[in-house]
Amino acid sequence: MSNEFDVYKLAEFGLKLAEAYNNNLKDAEIYFEFSKYINIEIEENSVKNSELGNEGGASIRLIDSKGSLGFASTNRLEKKNIERMVSIGTKMMKSGTEDPDFKSLPHFFANYAKVRNLYDKNIDNLTIEDSIAYVEDLITICNEDELAISQSGGFLSSSSKNYIFNTNDLNVNSKETICSISSNVILKDKISKDTTFGFDYQSERTLKKINAENVINKALNDGKRNLNRKKIKNIKCPLILTPNGTISLILKPIAQAINAETFQYNRSFLASQDKRGKVIANQNLTIQDNGLIDGAVGSAIFDGEGVPCKNKTIIDKGKFLKKGLLHNSYTAGKEGVESTGNASRFSYNSVPSIGITNFILKSGNVLYDELISDIKEGILLNYTGDRPNLSTGDFSGLILQGNLIINGEIKDPLDETLIGITY
Amino acid sequence: MEIAEELKIFDKDLINNFIRYSNNDIDYWDIRAGLNIGTLIEFTNQKSKEVSSYENIECSIRTFINGGWGFYVLKDLNRKALLDGYLKAIKLAKMSESLTKNKFRIIERDPLIKHFKAGSKKKLENIDIEEKINLVKFHEKIASDYSDKVKNTRTVYVDGLSNLLFINSSGSYITQKLDLLRLFSVVYAQEEGIIQKGSNSVGGIGGYEIVETEKAQNLSLKSASEAVDLLKAKSPIGGKFDVIMDPKLTGTFVHEAFGHACEADLVLSKESILEGKIGEKVAKDQITIVDNPTFGQGKKYNLPYELYGSYFIDDEGIPSKKTIIIEKGIFKNYLHNLETASRMEVDPNGHGRAQSSTSKPQVRMGFTYLEPQDWDLEEIIKDTRKGILCEDFQYGYTDPTTGNFQFKCKISYKIENGEKKQMMRDVSLSGLTLEVLNRITAIGNSNSFSYSDGLCGKGGQSLRVCDGGPYIRIADVNVGGLN
Repeated sequence: MSNEFDVYKLAEFGLKLAEAYNNNLKDAEIYFEFSKYINIEIEENSVKNSELGNEGGASIRLIDSKGSLGFASTNRLEKKNIERMVSIGTKMMKSGTEDPDFKSLPHFFANYAKVRNLYDKNIDNLTIEDSIAYVEDLITICNEDELAISQSGGFLSSSSKNYIFNTNDLNVNSKETICSISSNVILKDKISKDTTFGFDYQSERTLKKINAENVINKALNDGKRNLNRKKIKNIKCPLILTPNGTISLILKPIAQAINAETFQYNRSFLASQDKRGKVIANQNLTIQDNGLIDGAVGSAIFDGEGVPCKNKTIIDKGKFLKKGLLHNSYTAGKEGVESTGNASRFSYNSVPSIGITNFILKSGNVLYDELISDIKEGILLNYTGDRPNLSTGDFSGLILQGNLIINGEIKDPLDETLIGITY
Repeated sequence: MEIAEELKIFDKDLINNFIRYSNNDIDYWDIRAGLNIGTLIEFTNQKSKEVSSYENIECSIRTFINGGWGFYVLKDLNRKALLDGYLKAIKLAKMSESLTKNKFRIIERDPLIKHFKAGSKKKLENIDIEEKINLVKFHEKIASDYSDKVKNTRTVYVDGLSNLLFINSSGSYITQKLDLLRLFSVVYAQEEGIIQKGSNSVGGIGGYEIVETEKAQNLSLKSASEAVDLLKAKSPIGGKFDVIMDPKLTGTFVHEAFGHACEADLVLSKESILEGKIGEKVAKDQITIVDNPTFGQGKKYNLPYELYGSYFIDDEGIPSKKTIIIEKGIFKNYLHNLETASRMEVDPNGHGRAQSSTSKPQVRMGFTYLEPQDWDLEEIIKDTRKGILCEDFQYGYTDPTTGNFQFKCKISYKIENGEKKQMMRDVSLSGLTLEVLNRITAIGNSNSFSYSDGLCGKGGQSLRVCDGGPYIRIADVNVGGLN
């Protein structure tokens, strides 16, 4: 990891250079990101690969007085490479088109909300030797299971540091850690020879929360519920979504539709006949995007542009709120509102886009068992690779994992079953 | 031999040090390094959204001892960092070896010392940013002017120049210079609350000539007309139909539903329906499926560049070659990387590919296709009573353990008594791969053969691939509907 002193010096050097290169420069921003990671992979329920790595680099974003944006990146952090990055970025800016919608990059913020437990020194200081225990748990439990014939998965931990500097006096940095464990088991019924898979993973900011035993057991249960699938006749029935099912059928499509960029460009079903302020679902549906939950994987103190993260309600008891879009500084400036702190960067070398933080459908007051026991004949949907057409509300897809519910009990898993939902 | 200045650090002296440091403790090692530069231009609604440029240098060291792999990724290319990294990688392999139950040896191969260079007629480094921007503007304008129903346009231009190096413990020293380009167009049209999308791309290995072909020049027009036409399309009615797949969809089926199951790593991890099927009849006699990622195929399609899924060597230093997967219905070969070939005791066939110099080679496809036969498209349509003609796909996926696949098609037409009727959207097709291979009732001739290019994801890595075939007809396919 480059030392901090170099980063500050390089940032100052880069921003000064950017100003010197162009009289029309409005704002400039330099971003640095450094990370190190540990990765242990299991294949065929045996350790296959042990990996260590260091990654990271720098990028510059430049905007001129007419709103044209230039961007350049490098992972070589010598002064001459930074100089070339600034010079190429300036050339890129000069080649773009005017965009009066580009108001400015964020300004200095005096206050940031406190978000705890985003960094764990136990992950930062973790050795690969110590990480082995986690995958050994996965392997042992899989070995002991009668139906499991193979497992792939593993353990991944990373620790990263990022820095944002801009010409509007913004200067922030943060340290974060993340650690995850995953298990994909293949199961085979000894008599019927039917084969299926089960999957689970856990991702955390702190090491002590990682529980390999839980992950593999959930994956095994997931798979077992799906062994010996049966084809069923056409039925019309109620549908229960598991949390996985809810993510693919409800949360992912809505997250896409409330992205201010998707919305402003008229690519969102919520943009056609502007549905802001209107009731779009029944009163049981409340969705929030909360970037401030202590220790959550989607949380952060500031977003990819240095704007403080927030907690926002998107859909309140079925009503899509007027302030329900997720913004970065560009989309916010275009609409004359404040950024919601949702600028996201895939990597140091990508221009900030918009992303969710912790996107949550609020729980109601019905127990899972009650939901199931109420159903005479229905379907429990766990996995599908399909997504709904939200402009019409229609959905047609293949059930990758799902079960029949009969008289309040979960019964046979479904084989080659297609599902359609229409209004 | 032409080599980038930054990669000259891998000289005889350094390589001798690697050999000495290994102290005969390890069975195999390889090192990959790359120096990459490139441009990305994105316009939307005729305005620039991103004009950017990147440069990076990447390196990874991979080591192997008796079934255990070590992998070390670094970005500072200096002697000290490389030798330190090499020692760390050896330690990592020792750790994996002490834990793995799958013991095996890597096949010994002769060293290859060679420089590969993809020819480009209009070198990317000589094309100014303004010219690339004008190209993107041209496509944006065509799409925007197409109809007042067009509500949003997006055009993305990406190019990249890579200098790559591969060395290994057998003494191979391979350098490559590759230029890549991809142009991508998406158009959204809207009418009465309905939004439809049209998207198309063209990509290849070569220079700026890639964007000057007829196909590339018509790219945004095609996206715009698709999006607008789809506004009027009907929703499908579910049931069983004879389905005619166009070359793009045939390619998707061959790649997605069948090709992944041929990847030997998935066979070993028991995630393939083709485990134990070598030598068995898995399809009708007319079916031959191959993967051929070799260079030199662009000219077959009158293209002045090489296909997007092509490569000279894979990322384990093994030259690409044509591999027959199914020959006249008989399953012949899996696709292999060095590890799976070593474990299954066959020759590697050049399918160990990695997304970049910092990712590990996996078993991956290159250009997978179904060989054409003798039907004319007109004949196939005329011969179909109750069917659907499906063109291109939105997405597709497969359950690897059962071969149950699902594809969502882009544009479809009802076929009634041999005639093409109204357009439908969002038709989804599903079935079991091995059953469907035996229900193909017509395979188009070479006139109808075509391919498409794109990116394929597996285990977090995204790679350039091509797939294709002729028009084919499959009997009794499940079509998802909303009735």
